[in-house]
Amino acid sequence: MPRTTTVESSGCPPLRALTFDVLGLIKVVEARGGQNGDAAKVVERWGEPDASKCVLSASILDRESHPLIGIARKSGSVEIISAINGDLQVQIPDLCQPEDDSIVGVHLLQKHKSDSSSRSCALLASTTKGHVRMESVKLGETPAKSVRDPSPTVWNVCGSGNILCSKVSEDENHALFGGKGVEVNIWDLHKREKIWTAKSPPKDNLGIFTPTWFTCATFLSKDDNRKFVAGTNSHQVRLYDISAQRRPVISIDFRETAIKAVSEDNDGNTIYVGNGSGDLATFDIRTGKLLGCFIGKCAGSIRAIARHPELPVIASCGLDSYLRIWDVQSRQLLSAVYLKQHLTSVVFDSHFRIEAPAPQVETAVEEDCAEATPVKRKKEHRGTRKAKSKSSKRSKREED
Amino acid sequence: MKDLLPSAIKNKEKRSEVHAKLKHQKKLEKKKKAKVREAAEKQALELGEEPPARPIPRTIENTRELDETVCKPDDEELFAGNDADEFSCILKEERTPKVLITTSRFHSSRGPAFIDELISVIPNAHYHKRGTYDLKKIVEYANNKDFTSIIVVHTNRREPDALLVIGLPSGPTAHFKLSKLVLRKDIKNHGNPTNHQPELVFNNFTTRLGHRIGRLIQSLFPQDPNFRGRRVVTFHNQRDFIFFRHHRYIFETKESKEPQSKGKGKKEEAKTQEKVITRLQECGPRFTLKLISLQHGTFDTKGGEYEWTHKPEMDTSRRRFFL
Repeated sequence: MPRTTTVESSGCPPLRALTFDVLGLIKVVEARGGQNGDAAKVVERWGEPDASKCVLSASILDRESHPLIGIARKSGSVEIISAINGDLQVQIPDLCQPEDDSIVGVHLLQKHKSDSSSRSCALLASTTKGHVRMESVKLGETPAKSVRDPSPTVWNVCGSGNILCSKVSEDENHALFGGKGVEVNIWDLHKREKIWTAKSPPKDNLGIFTPTWFTCATFLSKDDNRKFVAGTNSHQVRLYDISAQRRPVISIDFRETAIKAVSEDNDGNTIYVGNGSGDLATFDIRTGKLLGCFIGKCAGSIRAIARHPELPVIASCGLDSYLRIWDVQSRQLLSAVYLKQHLTSVVFDSHFRIEAPAPQVETAVEEDCAEATPVKRKKEHRGTRKAKSKSSKRSKREED
Repeated sequence: MKDLLPSAIKNKEKRSEVHAKLKHQKKLEKKKKAKVREAAEKQALELGEEPPARPIPRTIENTRELDETVCKPDDEELFAGNDADEFSCILKEERTPKVLITTSRFHSSRGPAFIDELISVIPNAHYHKRGTYDLKKIVEYANNKDFTSIIVVHTNRREPDALLVIGLPSGPTAHFKLSKLVLRKDIKNHGNPTNHQPELVFNNFTTRLGHRIGRLIQSLFPQDPNFRGRRVVTFHNQRDFIFFRHHRYIFETKESKEPQSKGKGKKEEAKTQEKVITRLQECGPRFTLKLISLQHGTFDTKGGEYEWTHKPEMDTSRRRFFL
């Protein structure tokens, strides 16, 4: 019997997310939060639709002043834009030939090299053929005034096969690469040498060897670079521990289609997994136990999952053109925004504050109390209480 | 007693009696209502007023759940997306469509007959024996031979039951359930199609997914219909079922004679009055498709990514449609 009543959700907290799609558009989605359950909606669109500018990968340098976004385009160029207004800061053309090679991952590094001023940043881009390029950029007022490092460091991480995923650790000392025919390997970014390679799991009991094909990977926790999780094309999620062994510590099968996105939680032992047929689930990776699935009308492959650094919220997007925002604890859908194109990536801007927040929140809380106390209906009560606690938390944070 | 529902009565005889009575009453009421409405209409006509608007019956289609993915005619992102998609080079007539038709591993009886008719419907379609080849190998072969699409007719128990449409070289793969297949020879008074290029009619492909499916099907046919052939192929979408029909039409001019009794002064007029009537003849086959999944890229069951798959949790409402 299908559930016909809708579960009351506590509404979407105020947040700001940026999505990237196959036509090269960047859309800014903002949720205003508030008690009346304001749904998230598109507030800005940057760029003109052009299929050759399809975004392949994106990363955000999430900081208080001058947040930046690095975007890898299908044409082989990398752009750095401002996350506030979408102004182009630097364009690095022709990182690779679009005919035979494409960029798979771009990462903006913050603490790299001694100068950590907000006017410069470092960029790590890797391509399908395994060319990794790291260069630092000094940002000027206009794109023309920006200065690129004349001698970028370029090296190769694989001889054969295709790189499909790359990830940089939180402290920006290590990076991992993996792909089709490439076992996951970890590189030291300072010395530029490979420090660890995984070993493929043994043949199964029928003597069948599944070829190596990693589709996504992520480091498990912020301060520990030794553990990471990788998803494979043969619908397996594997936990590797560098300090323990070269084969996976835990390997979990999830549904029947390839794992397409893996994301870690802030607590360092929960992961979120999305696959090619639009199933999104959360696992406790210490035990390999499925904690639950995120059930919604999610019909298309999930390409990216992003965890909000502070709020208990994740965002998922993919080929069904919807950006969906989920609550982590209740696994309820908080908001879904239709963005018309196949989406390739999503990032959160965690320093988003709604304008003139303090007085608004105060009045909202008061109103809420007045509303909640006389009427003691069961369902509403629960919803408002949750929202209230959240809003008070928010006001506290802003006082800090 | 009057408020008692017939279903609450335990005695069957009594229950059916009460039920029949209730039904009769309802019928009378309905007749009365119709009479009143007719009278009002007649009166309005006599007075030269606008007749009262007829109430629109509530159907499942017009009470459909609100869907934000319905394409809007002024959406520039939609047009940019169309220009960039896999079918645009065929739909802009830069490439002529060439279709490879093959079957599942085992097929017999109605399968081959259906394929014969598909070949007569789709111009430039070629049947290749399936043999024991993998579908991925066939996709590779078709890519080398410059085919633009592959159709795989899947047969189960000697009855075609699924259709797989693969766009080439990188296009999506649509998996349809096929039902209600009626072949040409089973259609009464059927016609035989000529080999002119058919006109296409697509109805109700409104959402973004529907739009994409429509374009996928459209790319099987050449885009320059030969109107002399008077052949039309229809894909009609209703409640997510796509109905396929294939017709020949003809416009006939008939001289209709006015009846003589209506005054002799009009006789000259009556002779010159010509009426164009349209006649349709079905050519077959006739079948219904229902989308099961749309896969990104060519056929790949293991590592494939789906743009849309049907999931049981989507079936929570009768008024929700995806195409």
